[in-house]
Amino acid sequence: MKKLIALFLCLILALPAFALADDQVEITLWTYPIGSWGNAETVDGIIKDFNAVHPEIKVTVQYLDYQSGDDQVTTAIEAKTTPDIIMEGPERLVANWGAAGKMLDISDLWADTKDDIIAASAAVEAACKNAEGVYYEYPLCMTTHCMVINYNDFEKAGALQYIDEEKHTWTTEGFLNALDALNAAGFAPTAVVYCGGQGGDQGTRALVTNLYSGQFTAPDHSAYTMDSEANIKALQLLQQLVNDGKLDADAGIVAGDEIALFCNSTISIGFCWNASAAVSNKASLAEDVKVFPMAFPSDDGVPELQGGIWGFGLFDNGNEAKVAAAKTFVKWVCDDPAQAAKSVYASGFFPTRASLGDIYAGTDKAENGEYAIFMPYLGDYYQVTPNWAAQRTEWWNLLQRIFAGGDVAAEVAVYCQNANK
Amino acid sequence: MTTRAFPARRVVSPAMRAARRRENIAAYLFMAPSLVFFLGFVIFPMGMCLVTSFFNYTMTDFSWIGLANYVEMFQDAIFGKALVNTIVIVLVSVPVTCMFSLWVASLIYKMRDRHTSFFRCVFYLPVVTGSVAVTVVWKWIFNNYYGVLNYVFKNLGLITRNINWLGNPDYALACIITILLTTSVGQPIVLYVSALSNVDHSLIEAASVDGATNMQVFWKIKWPQVMPTTLYILVITTINSFQCFALIQLLTSGGPNNSTQTIMYYIYYNAFKLSRYGYGSAMGIILAIIIAVFSAIQFRLAKTDNG
Repeated sequence: MKKLIALFLCLILALPAFALADDQVEITLWTYPIGSWGNAETVDGIIKDFNAVHPEIKVTVQYLDYQSGDDQVTTAIEAKTTPDIIMEGPERLVANWGAAGKMLDISDLWADTKDDIIAASAAVEAACKNAEGVYYEYPLCMTTHCMVINYNDFEKAGALQYIDEEKHTWTTEGFLNALDALNAAGFAPTAVVYCGGQGGDQGTRALVTNLYSGQFTAPDHSAYTMDSEANIKALQLLQQLVNDGKLDADAGIVAGDEIALFCNSTISIGFCWNASAAVSNKASLAEDVKVFPMAFPSDDGVPELQGGIWGFGLFDNGNEAKVAAAKTFVKWVCDDPAQAAKSVYASGFFPTRASLGDIYAGTDKAENGEYAIFMPYLGDYYQVTPNWAAQRTEWWNLLQRIFAGGDVAAEVAVYCQNANK
Repeated sequence: MTTRAFPARRVVSPAMRAARRRENIAAYLFMAPSLVFFLGFVIFPMGMCLVTSFFNYTMTDFSWIGLANYVEMFQDAIFGKALVNTIVIVLVSVPVTCMFSLWVASLIYKMRDRHTSFFRCVFYLPVVTGSVAVTVVWKWIFNNYYGVLNYVFKNLGLITRNINWLGNPDYALACIITILLTTSVGQPIVLYVSALSNVDHSLIEAASVDGATNMQVFWKIKWPQVMPTTLYILVITTINSFQCFALIQLLTSGGPNNSTQTIMYYIYYNAFKLSRYGYGSAMGIILAIIIAVFSAIQFRLAKTDNG
């Protein structure tokens, strides 16, 4: 009798496994907070729509944040518990985990969409593969990171004359004049060069490289080139501006804190902004803050903005059924005629397929479409340069040393030595 | 010829032996869950840490390099800075935590139960509050632009312009130590209140009758009796101070200019940000040795006849 009961209990326990094996393939998706892709309600809705078409695939989602997400992935890689799909950008999918041989070659996903993606941006296609042409990312959306000014402060300070309101661009000279005007009108601190950590470092990098049209890396992404004459000149200018009290530098804050300072009207210029930030910070804007996105100032007035490209990569977990299911999910999210635009819309950024056109026209996020003005300024996607993770730490440490009074040329030499190891 | 006298062997019956064996098996079975946990999550990782410290263990490589990680560590200027910072944190926070806790406990243990409980709760609150919440509050207090500390100091006339507490290498480590103190004193205060309450009251009365002053009563009677508690607090606070990590990660990331870099944070940075697991393990081994040495010294210095 006891044996019969034990057998019965074992069968009950094993039933769900049999049921799943017969009907469904279970895959896991880990996603960083890329717009509303970090929002469970939005992602659950997408999965629900997916399951209406593909009930045979069950998708479990885990949400990562940028503070600890990389640690979780690193731990999962070592413990061999990586998810089937992960959503992020080429600096992680291609340059980090892909280069370490942890990601699957997903070139087959590109077969019928490559031309459409290149038509949207050739830089996107180039960033999603390694030097041998192996694709580790299937892109969904992209943006250009920009900066932001408080239009009201600029108007009161008479500094609007220094910006091109139509193109949202300005020159280095215009930027310097605007700082003078803001300071004279009592809008101090005008802006803060944050360097308390790596959060939002794309803003400070773009600020430095644009001032005198420098390049952050070599064209073939083989080395970091902050030691160029243009970049050293730009850093010296920023150091001087800080010493003169026209600009603040703060080793105690990161981009999130700087955005908060902009939103609560403490500062008039923010160096870390994009279409998604505009949406997520809308509710926290002080009454006297009027957001006006701007490209970074450059000596020739033609900025080169850093791009953000987000999409999906597949970890190599050695299960063909799961790989096939994961590819089905990714393809559906990115290319299904009824879903693709919704997937991009959830991110708050722009489609990486030219065929999708303007997805924001006539929607609740219509103002996101305004940020498309910056897309022609999309610069080189240098985040795939080797040693990227170590470089990021070296970067904010370099800024800290410079704003603490260090000699720019000497500190840049230290940075380049460490970053190019 | 002399014969050596051996003590007579106790005769143990088979039944007794069987009963003892059953008892032993039962004891081991009771111990088993904890033992498995201890071996699996403490001893085994320690062993692995030691082994991997001799390897170039990264996301793509696992090759034997002998003592190279240790050699590199002692040539690494940031590790040296982290070691100095960590020792400064320990040397400041451990004595201050112990003295402050003992002082507070001495004041509150004689109060009515209700009041003692109230103060215990107040001081224990930062311990049970999540470190993220604590650091968010402190970040606001120390904020360069609208922080309450700058506001208070300026209104008191102590400073004329805002100080960037966490962004200035001269102040950042002191700020970290201050926050660490607030989260460290809760448990020692509770332990000291309990230890002081257990001091034999008849000895205190006898000493007072003999004319001992309050200081004499404290040093001659109370202090020796709370010494085992002090030793425990010293060791625990030392280990916690050596392992200071969350505050650094959430507030300064080791900056500015590595002025708040600690060994724990540097281990984390190398292992998780740079995927240099072998190098991180080597630093972990050195940290464990340093903690063991410090603890041994504390045991030696605080050794008493009854402790």
